[in-house]
Amino acid sequence: MTHTDEDLKSALRRCEAPEGFTDRVLARVANEQAVESTSGRESGLNIFSRPVLPWATVAVASVALIAGGIHYRNVQRERTQGEAAKQQLMLALRIASSKLQLAKAKVNDINVNQTKNRQVKE
Amino acid sequence: MAMADRFLGEASSVAGADFAHLVRRHQSMVFAIALHFLADYSAAEELAQDVFVQLHANLASLQSEAHVTFWLRKVTAHRCIDHKRRRKPPQISLEDAPEPSEPARVTDPWMARRLRQVVASLPEKPRLVVILRYQEDMSPEDIAELLGMPVATVKSHLQRALAMLREKVTRTIGEGKT
Repeated sequence: MTHTDEDLKSALRRCEAPEGFTDRVLARVANEQAVESTSGRESGLNIFSRPVLPWATVAVASVALIAGGIHYRNVQRERTQGEAAKQQLMLALRIASSKLQLAKAKVNDINVNQTKNRQVKE
Repeated sequence: MAMADRFLGEASSVAGADFAHLVRRHQSMVFAIALHFLADYSAAEELAQDVFVQLHANLASLQSEAHVTFWLRKVTAHRCIDHKRRRKPPQISLEDAPEPSEPARVTDPWMARRLRQVVASLPEKPRLVVILRYQEDMSPEDIAELLGMPVATVKSHLQRALAMLREKVTRTIGEGKT
């Protein structure tokens, strides 16, 4: 005994879809349409509906960046002020040094004159 | 004449058709192809639902009833192969699935069940070819166009599948008698 083409056709004939199949398909289609329209409406606002963790990471990174910037500016300002003070000190030292040289020269002149006057008197 | 050309001579777009009516008209075809291929009742329903959801998204591009039928067979066939390649073992087998509701031409339910089991055990492509040939009564030329393969390949799949079916069914009957 063996099967015929008719046996195969009979075994593989179409069968009814499960009960409520059409309703389930229509519900899925309606659901997908609702999801599509909702996602389209919220596309401009969805940045606010994201999880908290990425927002916290962004906030921490922003604060760290701002604090780092402020600290860097303070360091730069202090360094500039130090440089200016150093320049002023060097200038003051140079002036004082030249004044001292001048005073020393005058003292020397006075000594030389006194010595000459003493010799003339003698 | 190519199948796509045949659609042009038919009625205009089906985009305006009642979708629920379309589902009701074609659901037994899509579900049966999926069930005979997957041998898994719930997976077949899920796949058939996916096909109709995809149909709804593509309705505007379909030009006629015949085009819808061709499209549904093609998408179902490709989804069956994709599904089989990435899926787990079936949960409810063909044995547990209800018998076809249409009146049978042969009265041997054991033979029918055995044939469905053996068809479900065939390699993917021959299985699909057998299902389209015997369930949908398609010619090898139409199957070739639907699956995008040469007619000679379809015929060779059919011959090989029928030989395997004959051998497996005969062996089972022999085992049953001993």
